[in-house]
Order: sequence, then C-alpha cells, then structure tokens
Amino acid sequence: MSPPDLRTRGRWPPPEGPRAAIVGSRRPSPYGEAVAEQLGLELARAGVIVVSGLALGIDAAAHRGALNGGGVTVAVMGTGVDVIYPAAHGVLAEAILAAGGALVSQFPDGTAPRRHNFPARNYTMAALADVVVVVEAAEGSGALITAEAALDLHKEVMAVPGSIFSPLSVGTHSLLRDGAGLVQNARDVLAALRLGGEVLDDPLATPKNLGFKLPGERDGILSHLSDVLALNAAEVARKLQLPIAEVLGRLTALELDGAVRRHQGGYVRALRRGKERA
Amino acid sequence: MLVGLDARPIHVEADIGRGEVAFMLVGLAATTVKEARERVRSAIRNSGLEFPTTRLTVNLAPAEMRKQGTALDLPMAVAIALARAGKAAPPHSAFLGELALDGSVRHVDGVLVAARGLSTLGYERVFVPAADAAEATLVDGLEVIPCASLIGVVNHLLGAEAIAPAPRGAFVCVAATDIEHDLTEVHGQEEAKRALEVAAAGGHHLLMSGPPGAGKTMLARCLPGILPPLELAEALEVAQVRSLLGDLPREGPLDWARPFRSPHHGVSMAGLIGGGSGLAQPGEISRAHHGVLFLDELAEFQTPVLQALRQPLESGRVNITRSGGSVTYPARFTLVAATNPCPCGWAGDGVRGCRCTPGAVDTYQRRLSGPLLDRIDLQVAVRRVQLELLASEARGESSATVRERVVAARRLQQERQGCLNAQLKPARLRQLAGLAPESRRALERWGAHRGITARGFHRAWRVARTSADLDGSAQIEEHHILEALGFRLQDVAA
Repeated sequence: MSPPDLRTRGRWPPPEGPRAAIVGSRRPSPYGEAVAEQLGLELARAGVIVVSGLALGIDAAAHRGALNGGGVTVAVMGTGVDVIYPAAHGVLAEAILAAGGALVSQFPDGTAPRRHNFPARNYTMAALADVVVVVEAAEGSGALITAEAALDLHKEVMAVPGSIFSPLSVGTHSLLRDGAGLVQNARDVLAALRLGGEVLDDPLATPKNLGFKLPGERDGILSHLSDVLALNAAEVARKLQLPIAEVLGRLTALELDGAVRRHQGGYVRALRRGKERA
Repeated sequence: MLVGLDARPIHVEADIGRGEVAFMLVGLAATTVKEARERVRSAIRNSGLEFPTTRLTVNLAPAEMRKQGTALDLPMAVAIALARAGKAAPPHSAFLGELALDGSVRHVDGVLVAARGLSTLGYERVFVPAADAAEATLVDGLEVIPCASLIGVVNHLLGAEAIAPAPRGAFVCVAATDIEHDLTEVHGQEEAKRALEVAAAGGHHLLMSGPPGAGKTMLARCLPGILPPLELAEALEVAQVRSLLGDLPREGPLDWARPFRSPHHGVSMAGLIGGGSGLAQPGEISRAHHGVLFLDELAEFQTPVLQALRQPLESGRVNITRSGGSVTYPARFTLVAATNPCPCGWAGDGVRGCRCTPGAVDTYQRRLSGPLLDRIDLQVAVRRVQLELLASEARGESSATVRERVVAARRLQQERQGCLNAQLKPARLRQLAGLAPESRRALERWGAHRGITARGFHRAWRVARTSADLDGSAQIEEHHILEALGFRLQDVAA
C-alpha cells in the first residue's frame, strides 16, 4: 500500500537518505527517554532521517536528539499540519522546520486530535520509514501498531530491551521474542539500514561513551536508585535503614543537584545531560 | 435566641388586660413562634393552671428582631403564669424550652451555646429542659435549673416547691482516649507517616496522591490519634457546634477526641461550608473544627465547593449569609485530601499500568491546581505497599510515641508565637523563623532551579520550621529545608 496524499510543512520531500522511525511510550521512564534521545542523535549524525510522531515522551526525545545531532527529522502528525498537538510542542515543531525537517499529515488542515486518527498516522509513519525502532512500549501501546504496520509493509522492526520489572518493557520484549532486531546502540540500527557492518562483538558502550553523565557515587542513596523504576523515599529509607526525614532531605538535595528526578510518585536516577528541560 | 454561635436575649412580657378573650402575640414572631400560642395555651391548661379569660398580650422584645424556634414556649408560658399570679420573674434569669401539650418541657437544640452566651451577657441563672441540663452545666458560674414540666417551674418560681439546681458536671480530663486507628497498623508508608507527623505538629494541610488501595484513607484516619487531645476550651467549642445541630450525647456531652469528618465527594456547598434556609446551619467544616476534615477523591468534588474552602482555610472561620442574616462559625481544621494521580488511578503504580492519555491526566491534575492547592503545605505520593510487607509483623512507631513528639513541637510553637506554624503569615515567618545561611541558599537554589512561587517559598519555609520544631532545633538547618521541599508532588505546581 502506498502512503496516502500528504499535507506538508517544511522541506518535502526530505533529502535523499535512509529513514528510521523511533517510536514509543508517551510516558517513558528516564531510561527510555535517554535511549530515544541518544539514538536520535547518533542516527542523525550518521545521516539518517529520524521519523517520529511529535507526541510526548519517546517521540519528542527522538526529535530532540536528531536536532541536537544536527540532522533532519520528520514529524508525522495525527492532526492537521497546522494543529500542533500537544500544544506544548509548538517550539519543537518550529525547531524541526528550522532545521530543514518537515511536518507531514494525511489529514486535512485544521483536523483536531481524534483518538481514531492516530492508528492511521502510525501506519503512515511506518510507510515513510525504512526501519521502525520501538523504545519502551507498554501492552497495547500505539508504538506496537506502528511495528505491526511495518511488518505488513515488509519493513524491518527493531526494539530496545528494558527492565523486566517495568510495564513499559512488555511491548518491546514481546517484539524481540517475535523476532524483532535487538537494538543496543545506534550501530545496530545503521546495520539494519545497510549503513555499516553487522555488530556482533560490540557490547553496550560504557555510559561515558554514551555521553551521559552518571551521577557520582558519593551518596549511598544513588546506588540504590534505578533509572527505570521509581522508588519512593520510604523504600529507600527501608533499604538503607535510615530515618525517613533524613532520606527525604537527602533525596531533595540530590534532586537539587540534578542527580535524581521525580518519576511516577517516586525517585529515579537522572540520565540527562546538561540542564533539565522545561 | 441563637444567631449562629451568638446568643441574643429576648425579653418576654405578658399583660392580662380587660377586653374580650384574645391571645395577642406581638414582636415579629415567625410562624414557628406563632404556633407556640396553641402549645402554650394547652400546656398551661393541662398543667392545672388557669389560662386568662380576658385579653392577653405577649410581647417579644426587641421588636425589630425576627424570632424563630420553639425555645420561646417555656418563657412565654412562664410569663403568662407569673402575670396571672401578679409576680415578676427573678432577676438575671433566662428560660428556654419547648412545651408539650401536656405541659412537660422538651429538648431544644443549642442549649450549650445559649448558656455560654447568656453567661457572658451577665445572666446568673438559666432554666433549661431537664434533658439538656448536662450541656448547660458545662458553663462555669451559671446556675442551671432543670425543668421537667411547666407546673414544676411555676411552683419553683412561686416558692411552692423549689427545684434543686443541676449539679455541675464532673469532668475528668481523660488523658489518652482510645486511639481508634494506630499508626502501627499501617505497614510501610514511612513517607506518608512522616508527612502526617509534620501535619499534626504544625497544623499543616496535607494532600496525598496515590492509586486506589494504597491506604490513603487509613493514613488519614490515623491523624486524630497523633494530635493532642482537645483542651477544655477547644472541647467546649466543638461541643457548641454539635449542640447547635442537636447532636450532643446526653450523657457526657464533652468529648476529648478530635473530630474526624469525611464528607462524600457529592457533598453540596451547604453541606460542606454550612447553609440552609433562614439562618445558616454549620456545615462539615465547622463540625471538623479543631479536628480533621478528610476529603477523599478531591478531584471529584464540585469546583465551586472546593473554591469555597479558601476563606475558611485562610481564616479558620466561615461567614455565611442567608435570608435570615449572616452568621460566623468556627472552622479551624486540618485538611487532609486524597486523590488518585489520574482518572483511572494507576499512574505510577509499579505493577498495573495507567490507561489514561497524558492529556486526560493533565486535565485531571489541573482540576486540583490553583488556589486550593496553594494552601496545602504538604504533598506526598502514596504507593501501594508490596504484599510481603503487608504480611509482615506490624512495625514502626505507635501513635502514642509520635504524639509525644507532636505535643512537644506544638508547645514550642505556642511559647514562641502563640499559634501553629501553619498559621504564620510571611512577615511573622521572617521575624520568627530564622534560616541558617545554608538553608536560605538551599531555598534560593531551589527557586532558581524550579521557578518556585512566592507561596511555594513560604510553604516550604513553614514546613521546615515545623520539621525543626520536631527536632527541638531553634534554627532551621539545611536538612529541614530539604525535607520540606521534598513534600510536594512533582506533577503539581511547586
């Protein structure tokens, strides 16, 4: 099936080159967000056009990463190209256009966000990409629709593994079990795009090489926090056998240093470079 | 007569003149009072007394005040009986009670309120229904004459047969009332327990956010148990509100336990704040005076109802105007609110995923933001406790232990400033709650980092003051500020 007629803003068609869609949860863990941003950045540097859906979470992180990598990125929207959804992504959309990317949509101008429009958008996204990479998707996530569409269209589907404790890994792990390509770094994706040799012997790059600043281990609390699953202060206090008041204070101090973040009613280790985004 | 918690004395005069048989009632009497003519007439006849057979005029003064309620039955009947006997009522005495047709005296609401008001107005003796005598004896220095029947009162006044004044109620200040819900029964949840302790110590309002079944209600019910028992003056204020509503137990009208009120989220404005026709009746917030008001499912309450909480949260009082006039009721309570993190309730739960769209979560949480949230000093996320922890032996401190720390911290605040930390205005906060230099730096750093609002700044400052008081520390150290900053939900404005 060929992609339907598209309404576009920005440069369309985009420059020649391989295209990778990066999709996933709208409410990812810090881990997933960091992975999407990193993949977007490295793929963009390698000349890959990053396709995603302008949604919250993984989508936004992938676009942002591609922009940081100086690349071209395409947002496939479920609304009219003149309706930015979510509205908070107006700045991101402008940045995409400014960097030579495009906003595209199969829906007429002025189409408001409608639940039933997004699955069709996911299908279009798969059609526009050569490979679909899923980063964190819970059961029933829209990202899985994109993956299914990619299979229908005989495109390669790949997935990034996550923690077995996290509900956000259910979708990605089931894709992996069903034969999706394993993504451990950007080179795995490049290999799938025939842009490099297959990578068999390259273990996970060390965090340092990944470009993340891992918080120092001065504070015992940090070694008990995960970057995927939130722990609350009570759970940390129990592990460390410390009074709750002290743990609350120390966690806030770490938050102030940018070393931990609030996530889902608890705390996770921050895996972000530079300043917190607004 | 009662106007809210104010007692307004009404002078009842009776005149038996010449003329045809008539019973004139003058002085702006409402329907309930006009009906009293029939009750009074029957009660007098059935008591074996003679009802005047000429023109009878009863005047209720001051004439410009609208009179309501049945408590005027007894004084009217007494005035008529005394007029027939050609006697005057004893000085500095007041009467209240409803009459039955057979001449017995029935219960009326608000006797405690009336007795306190009359006592401050200089009355020395009050005649009340026998059923309500125990309430009235709570008031110091007031002679209480329990009235069982009209004939008994008349005989007493005419010197035929005296009624013994009701004995003053014997109050033993029960030190530790049974704690219904003890903190030891709550497994885990140390974060929320600590928030409860800080809330109890400083009088701070608290918001808990967490999935269904996380134990929010259980935690809230533990709060009264870690608060000190009511003082005599406080217990009287609580009893007054209950007296107005006719909700005071006959035996042992004084209760030392802090009230705990948990209205359903469908509650109306009148039910929560107070209201009704004529003169407003006290609502749930006044019944929670000196105690705890628990609002479960905060986001489900009607927005105007929540908005109306702002004034009482600020001032500890609520002023309600209805057709019958304007009344003020006390409403100094600790608000404990609970909410789900999202419409389905499961956002942030480690096991069950949330199925709400981010937009829906946003809308849901936005309902909670704004002026009401600005007045809640403590916010804490509550998560479901793992099963193995639930099955383990109950651990942690008992409510009695925590209460000792709370009482000590409250004493420090009373000595320093005469009120709880939560009631400190920014100016007094600056004056009374010195920040160590590194504490100020931590607060300022936070402000620069997160764009904290002025209100948020003072909220953290007040909570830090309480945290320091729990430590017995005069200075607010950095770790107190950091703890205070930790008590907020990330998703809701700092």
